[in-house]
Amino acid sequence: MRLELRNVFVKDVQWGEKTEISGGVLRINRDETIAAVSNDQRFVEINLDLAKPGESARIIPVKDVIEPRCKVEGPGDVFPGFMGDPCTVGEGATLVLKGCAIVTCGPIVAFQEGLIDMSGPGSRYNPFSETNNVVLTVVPQEDIEKHAYEEALRIAGLRLAWYLADKCRDAEPNVKKVYEKGSIPEENAKYPELPKIAYFCMSIAQGLLHDTFLYGTDIKHVVPTVIHPNEKMDGAMVSGNCVSACDKNTTYHHLNDPVIMELYSRHGKDLNFLGVIPAPEDTRLSGKERSTSFCANLAKMLGADGVVISEEGYGNPDTDLCMNAKKCEDLGIRTVVISDEAAGTDGKSQGLADATPEMTAFVSTGNVNEMVELPAMKKVIGYPEAISNLSGGAEESLKPDGSLFVELQAIIGSTNELGFSRIGARWI
Amino acid sequence: MVREIEATAGIPVVQIATIVPIMLTVGANRMVPGVAIPHPVGDPAEGPEADKAVRREILERAFKAIQTKITEQTIFKS
Repeated sequence: MRLELRNVFVKDVQWGEKTEISGGVLRINRDETIAAVSNDQRFVEINLDLAKPGESARIIPVKDVIEPRCKVEGPGDVFPGFMGDPCTVGEGATLVLKGCAIVTCGPIVAFQEGLIDMSGPGSRYNPFSETNNVVLTVVPQEDIEKHAYEEALRIAGLRLAWYLADKCRDAEPNVKKVYEKGSIPEENAKYPELPKIAYFCMSIAQGLLHDTFLYGTDIKHVVPTVIHPNEKMDGAMVSGNCVSACDKNTTYHHLNDPVIMELYSRHGKDLNFLGVIPAPEDTRLSGKERSTSFCANLAKMLGADGVVISEEGYGNPDTDLCMNAKKCEDLGIRTVVISDEAAGTDGKSQGLADATPEMTAFVSTGNVNEMVELPAMKKVIGYPEAISNLSGGAEESLKPDGSLFVELQAIIGSTNELGFSRIGARWI
Repeated sequence: MVREIEATAGIPVVQIATIVPIMLTVGANRMVPGVAIPHPVGDPAEGPEADKAVRREILERAFKAIQTKITEQTIFKS
């Protein structure tokens, strides 16, 4: 499977007459773009805003972040099961508007959404303060069911991401990157001496708007399976998660998964990257047993010597993490896990809710309970009163001057467990 | 809290929760497995009557557990 990512750099985004990119400036015809995503009767009103790096702007509450992409060569289209047919993607060429992000915004659930600060101390903690953001907010029909609101906003965000990329499909790419890897027997024959490494991408699959989608299907209804890393770059995995913001994998994270990028960059050098196993985190103990048994068994059947395991969320998924590590280690497969910690505001509590002696290699992406002070921003896009309902926020979090005193977990992507952030933890 | 009540007040505690490994890790002594994280003591998808029956069964199991003498961490599966 060979995929070329054609990156077109976006240095600025502005409203304009015609939706197009030239000289690194993405211009957007606002009315036409709104019309392109408005074919859903569940919306009463759709709004688009822009938020740029360095601006005194806060986006709240953020549901998902998506990188604009569209396929320009090869079968299918990005976000299969949503934008394209649910047929295998990851082949051909895909155009990427690098440096631009779609942010979907709306108070869908009463808690567990996040915020993005485009400047100030909060901007250090999330990667989306450095992207030129097109923010989509909608007013849904009155009395809409929450799951229908989530679905409508999720699909509108994907459609907007595809639409903007599609309008720029003839742009000359600044950088082309090729990702190529053959079948497992082919790669094994090429690199017989290299250790074979699989990647478990654990994903929240818990219902009640805590869901992840694979080729358009809700993964809580599927047992773990294997996909080629290229498939993820074409949007095989989509977030439908309204969950604690700091460590949920947005669709943007799935598209730019740093674990995949690192394993790919070392493929054929010091390891043989077998593939990706999306691993659902269930709400029932039996579901956790089933999912982790399938993961470990798949790793064994693929001949893995080692597995990199990333968690999504914290709390009960810590048990899935332990089970995955234990079951692999029991089969003689070495593991390393990537997770954040909920160690209390003083950092002194046990970081994970669960533990197992087999889990001996742990990469921490930070403490979600760390308190941060975020000064007021001149512009607020979305619903500022939502802060009292965010995970990591409280009623008194919003000060009269507009500043916030919240836990790190209120900032989207701040302790991302794929490692897509700037913070971590060191042994002291 | 489970451990603290037992240690300081000397009152036996039964913990009902879904994720048994976490109860084992934190040191609960009497454990009754719950149904699922969003609904540990019931199964609303099965309808109101079955939901109530599940709830009663779990509670009765907890009452039985609290009266049972134990010498080590014990999971009451039935």
